[in-house]
Amino acid sequence: MTTPPPNLNAALAKAGRYLTFGLGVEIYGLPVMNVREIIRLCPITPVPRMPDFIKGVINLRGTVIPVLDLRAKFQMPEAVYSERACIIVVQVRNPTGGSTLIGSIVDTVEEVVQFNESQLEPAPDFGGSPETQFILGLATLSGSVKTLLDPEKVFLAEGLLTLTPAQAPEPQTTHS
Amino acid sequence: MACDLMTDNDHGSPISGGPLDASQLLCRIGEELAFVTPGKDNGLLPINHFLLDLEELPVAEIPEAWTVGLRVARGWIDVILDGPGLFSENSIRRLNDWHGFMSSILDSRASGRGLPAWPSDWGEPAARVEDLPAVDPASAPSGTVSDGNEPSFCLNLDEDLELLNEFHSESLELLQTIEQGVLVLESNPTDTETVNSIFRAFHTFKGGAGFLHLDPPRNLAHELETVLDLVRRSELHIDSGIINLILAGGDALEQFTRAIGAQLQGIAPGSPIVVPTSEIIRRAKAAARGETEAPSCSPPERSLTDAPASQIPPPEQAITAPVHQPAAPEATPPPAAPAAPVREPVGGDPAGGFVKLDTAKLDSLVDLVGELVVAQSMVVENSEVQAIASSQFVRQLRQLRRITSDLQNTAMSMRMVPVRGAFQKMTRLVRDLAASGGKQIQLLLEGEETELDRNMVEKLGDPLVHMMRNSVDHGIESQDERMARGKPAQGTIRLSAAHQRGGIVIRLSDDGKGLDPARIRAKAIERGLIRVDTEMDASEIVSLIFLPGFSTAEAVTDLSGRGVGMDVVRSNIEGLSGKIEVQSVPGEGTTFTLLLPLTLAIIDGMLVGVGDDRYIIPTLSIRESFRPQPGMVSTIQGRGEVVSVRGRQTPLLRLGRYLGRPARATNLEDAIIVVVESGDAARGLVVDELLGKQEVVIKSLGQTFRHQNLLAGSAVLGDGSVGLILDVDTLVKTPAHQNAIAAATAAAPNP
Repeated sequence: MTTPPPNLNAALAKAGRYLTFGLGVEIYGLPVMNVREIIRLCPITPVPRMPDFIKGVINLRGTVIPVLDLRAKFQMPEAVYSERACIIVVQVRNPTGGSTLIGSIVDTVEEVVQFNESQLEPAPDFGGSPETQFILGLATLSGSVKTLLDPEKVFLAEGLLTLTPAQAPEPQTTHS
Repeated sequence: MACDLMTDNDHGSPISGGPLDASQLLCRIGEELAFVTPGKDNGLLPINHFLLDLEELPVAEIPEAWTVGLRVARGWIDVILDGPGLFSENSIRRLNDWHGFMSSILDSRASGRGLPAWPSDWGEPAARVEDLPAVDPASAPSGTVSDGNEPSFCLNLDEDLELLNEFHSESLELLQTIEQGVLVLESNPTDTETVNSIFRAFHTFKGGAGFLHLDPPRNLAHELETVLDLVRRSELHIDSGIINLILAGGDALEQFTRAIGAQLQGIAPGSPIVVPTSEIIRRAKAAARGETEAPSCSPPERSLTDAPASQIPPPEQAITAPVHQPAAPEATPPPAAPAAPVREPVGGDPAGGFVKLDTAKLDSLVDLVGELVVAQSMVVENSEVQAIASSQFVRQLRQLRRITSDLQNTAMSMRMVPVRGAFQKMTRLVRDLAASGGKQIQLLLEGEETELDRNMVEKLGDPLVHMMRNSVDHGIESQDERMARGKPAQGTIRLSAAHQRGGIVIRLSDDGKGLDPARIRAKAIERGLIRVDTEMDASEIVSLIFLPGFSTAEAVTDLSGRGVGMDVVRSNIEGLSGKIEVQSVPGEGTTFTLLLPLTLAIIDGMLVGVGDDRYIIPTLSIRESFRPQPGMVSTIQGRGEVVSVRGRQTPLLRLGRYLGRPARATNLEDAIIVVVESGDAARGLVVDELLGKQEVVIKSLGQTFRHQNLLAGSAVLGDGSVGLILDVDTLVKTPAHQNAIAAATAAAPNP
């Protein structure tokens, strides 16, 4: 996927297969290309001093991967996860090469849908809503609108994953 | 895409083990297929994904059936994805058949048996593919473009990627063989074994470069091989000219290798590579000609006198003498089958006790074994399993545990390599440094066979170089100075390695002038690192050289004394979870002692509990842990809490509060204090409980957490959950501590 120019969401969504999932009352989609697998909600080890949308880390068959809470990321109200909640494991390319697996908690997983060009449209400007920058476009399917997300923007946004109130300047210690 | 899955070597990406090969991917699909059920979509996405990876996997010489097979499966999966999104009994059966079919293609490739028959109910494998990525060596060669007098060449990264990778890593080893050999020849010019090994190295290099049509390095290697061959036949005698020639040739080949390595890593891929070789080739030819008068017999090889001396390097070799006919059978390089995963070791160990293998595979094996150990203990600790009252079963479980632990030890030991490589690089360094500094220095190596995780050996290089430069530049005195002090004119540096207490100890000692405590103290005061009235003993003073911003170099040489000093070395060593100490006797010399764990992959950890969280503290950093008695802890205005241990005041850090996580113990007497140290600073961490010591396999936290320095990594605990490994250095140097220091010097506000 090419790197889109900033703030230009138009015509980025490509026709293809998307995995749709529910978050609150809305339905979102992620390109199937980026979806590695879907796993059941499992105990998550919290990582201290991280932004609240970082739920923690899990052990995915021997690989430790971070888990995000998309509700928190999109600044939606917190909710209790139901039985149907799961973790979508997404694979995104790093700008520096290689790729990263990141888990993402969603309320429900719906289905894999093929969207063609005619069903897609660019995202309208939601007036600076936090999620606008993450959106590839909108897709309409039998009357309902689904928001297609840009995995690289959602999961790799630079600067969002730094330590909260970082306070570790160069110490000039000798000994106590 | 498959290549993008490759991990960075520095544990950067959380995907373990690098890219999967075809059989692994197929195996994963098989695993997923085992769990699919008709009417459900379980496993659909993983299968799709692995199939995508398979499709994008570059495989040399793939049978057509494989390509068509992939296309067939793609069709089925797309139908499922586009349609109901669910498996049917039919689709599962077909996919299982397909899996078997594809597996037997791979088997037939490996075993040389015929291809399996195309299943009739899959329809015609009609679509013939023309764009099979078959490797055509004839199209691979890269154009030999002339750039001035020096020939250049380009790499064919698309087609030869795998071969180039292999050539690159093999070349690195060959270059090392050459360099080490030269150093042996310097002291023992008649060592035929060494001459042979250098000859073989050039020969193998030539073979590899020739196979890939990399003409300039091939020609250079050829000329050097010719010279070595003459030496081997005692028709040429080793002198300093020849040694310098071999070194220069080795350096040029190294430049080629580096350039190739850079392009393989994606730096300016495809750009032409030029390394000046004509001068070296001219010298090699001159050497081959000039010295051949000595022996009485006059073999035909000497016809190469015909070659004009001033000629520009020939595009193809101008010398046709059959000089590189190896005398010993084991001297024959392995020119064939460069794509085979397992090759004969370079240097021709006759017993053939070694195989070369991809380090990513090795790392992935170690990872998997780590998982196996965890899975094994989960089974053993399962309460239902424990309820089984059968002595036979208990015995079997014990057997399983023993085998798993043996397997883990074996897997770990596979990553162990001798420190020899890192040590022998120092020989060259000392030789060069001594020569440029006009000093006479001998380097004695001890315990080169001591084994260490290969990742550690790699990372040890830089600090060793730095320390070595310090010793040569600032430790060993000039000859006159040494004579005046009644020391032998030749200085001695000793580098040793030994196993000790489950770790490795590396010592670097010189018999130079030693560190001058008075000067160090003065310098530290001048730099504001200590106060004028700070009381320190001699050993504390010499440890000041590890502080940032400290450098005693009076004369700045081009090699050291640039202001970055031992603090960098210390942080490197601490980055390896190690420690560094220095002892020095003025006038007699200095000894640096490095204490390192054997591996970076596994650490001994103390599992501590804070509230509901569990954290791992590397045992190597723990000085002691205890339950504080009333009166041990005092709160000092402006300095926070301090615990007094055997007369030393150690500042406390309440881990729960610091991490922003709830802790159980509010009263310090209910808590445990774990004293950790990093460098010369220490901290008492307040935790709720100690949960036990355990060896853990370190897992990278990956890209997402690369900006934080609170955690050094993570590990999968016995119950399968993730435990976080604390970065002790950060905890020890955290601001509260700085405030405490500040408060000691000035009246700082309360944190």
